[in-house]
Amino acid sequence: MENIGKVGWIILLKCANSAERKWKYMIQTKPIINVSHLVKTYDGKNVVNNISFTVSEGEIFGILGPNGAGKTTTLEMIEALRTIDGGRAEIDGIDVAKNPKKIKEIIGIQLQATTFYDKLNLREQLKLFASLYGVKVDADALLAKVQLTEKAKNYVEQLSGGQKQRFAIASTLVNHPKVLFLDEPTTGLDPQARRDMWDLIKQIRDEGITVVLTTHYMDEAEILCDRLAIMDAGKIITMDTPQNLIQALLKRGFKKKQVVEQANLEDVFIDLTGKAIRE
Amino acid sequence: MKRYFTGVRGIVVSIFKRFMRDKMALFFTFLFPLIFLLIFGSIFNNKSISFDVAIINHSQTEFAKKFVEGAKSDDKQLLKIKDVNGIDQAREKLKRSEINGIIVLPEDFGKAGADHRPSGTMKVLYAKGSDQAGSALSALLGQVTDEINKRMGQPEAPFKVASEEVGDKALSNFDYTFTGLLAFSLMSMGLFGLANQMPSEKQRGSYRRLRASPFTSGQLLLGTTLVYTVIAMISAASMMLVGALVFKFQMRGDWLVFIPFLALAAAMMTSLGLMVGSWAKNENQAAPLVNLVSFPMMFLSGAFFPAYLFPEWLKNISQFIPMTYVVDGFRLIMTESAGFIAAGTQFIAVAVTTLVVYIISIRIFRWE
Repeated sequence: MENIGKVGWIILLKCANSAERKWKYMIQTKPIINVSHLVKTYDGKNVVNNISFTVSEGEIFGILGPNGAGKTTTLEMIEALRTIDGGRAEIDGIDVAKNPKKIKEIIGIQLQATTFYDKLNLREQLKLFASLYGVKVDADALLAKVQLTEKAKNYVEQLSGGQKQRFAIASTLVNHPKVLFLDEPTTGLDPQARRDMWDLIKQIRDEGITVVLTTHYMDEAEILCDRLAIMDAGKIITMDTPQNLIQALLKRGFKKKQVVEQANLEDVFIDLTGKAIRE
Repeated sequence: MKRYFTGVRGIVVSIFKRFMRDKMALFFTFLFPLIFLLIFGSIFNNKSISFDVAIINHSQTEFAKKFVEGAKSDDKQLLKIKDVNGIDQAREKLKRSEINGIIVLPEDFGKAGADHRPSGTMKVLYAKGSDQAGSALSALLGQVTDEINKRMGQPEAPFKVASEEVGDKALSNFDYTFTGLLAFSLMSMGLFGLANQMPSEKQRGSYRRLRASPFTSGQLLLGTTLVYTVIAMISAASMMLVGALVFKFQMRGDWLVFIPFLALAAAMMTSLGLMVGSWAKNENQAAPLVNLVSFPMMFLSGAFFPAYLFPEWLKNISQFIPMTYVVDGFRLIMTESAGFIAAGTQFIAVAVTTLVVYIISIRIFRWE
């Protein structure tokens, strides 16, 4: 009896402990991105139409939506790459429209289909990017982080798709950003390279960098994102954690036509070809 | 401020490295102007001028035979005698520009006249339209006959002209051409080079990545100007080296005046390329603009055609062509040993143009 009581106490303590951690986490997380009533107008049409959201520090926040929904435009306004036609965006308390240069100093941007200078090797590229921020960088440490150490002297045009994308991520970290913006980071990659990229993004988040990303892959959003917003026709139509969104759908009585399979074709592919990345 | 120049230095190092690794760019920057120089140099270098001619001898005299032999063994190689088997073949060759002229010695050429001295008149035939070659050939043969006359103890002509060279050394035709070529190579480097490079960079999307950082267009333009100005100066230096070694170009001016002017001129040409490259979104937009800027400069600046040959109204227009001041400056400094004061107008004009064009470039710059 005594033993059972003891075990019970331990279990209870453990539960309390984890609950406390969760609670602490929740009260400690403050919003680092604050977007309110953001508008972008092209030819009299609001391609981004009055959207508002916040992203907490240390979160991976996803923006989903069909092509032309306004995802990239929204990101580019927050990144100070496009003028804001209405509303406000703030990162770490700094107003984007008023202080675009300061914003660029504290964020990292990976653009959709980034192209780099040719005829410059990876180490030289990273040094160049650091100089643009007026800082120095340990290029080799950054390359090691994205597993490109042995490619340090290669040109970007000699890299594979996955390597290029990992290098793009490394290039966004030269200025030790507080927030990282990734526009479709895994588009065009093979399944191994995608999984590898997910691990890298999680690792970056674990180092305390807030990540905002867009994607077309629902599995990616489900695995990576702490919270996500779905956009359509310039508006956010829903925003929550992936689990809550799925639960809400099920509560509305949704049923898949087929019985959920225990495995899908991608599982077969990964099982047969392994998780090791190919270059 | 320190941050600003860290960025400029970063972009300068990168552009320079990429340039040095680009074999095409290296060819067009360093080798191409030299090829140009070798071609133009040999056209305008006085020493290498020669005429391909055919001699038709109708005369049987000893004198005429000697004359033909002498012409064939001319060690100065001014006349290159082509073998023909008759006047018809010679005319055919003349028509096809294989030869510059035909020298015809008439039947009585070299026959002793009343005073027992050989005499005669030779005829020079040249193709319609090539009066220049014709008159040059006539003048040359005139010298030859004068020389023969003198040798034969002809009494001296009652009147003669004594000519003497004026100045330290005669200005060779090449020295004049070379300064124009130098200005032209700066233009092709700065204008053509940059005006193509920047829009292609925009199309490739490499500027988009720069824009994602706090890097400004001012930093980009400053860095680009610096690199291309230095490269244009290196190209000019290699041209001068070849000009001096191969064509014996004589630098008469002060290097301390010349080098600052070369730097300014290179910066001005670069800024013109920068202006086109800043505005143009792609190479299709850049190409017509480059022609618009380069054609008037090429033809109205006096780089290739001496400006004193222009009619008055064209001279007035050429005053407003920025490259005119570059060409004039080079000639004043390199061939007339002008100093800062004598070439003051050129210094000021080039500096002001550079500044104005550079400011316009920053204003009209487009990232993509």
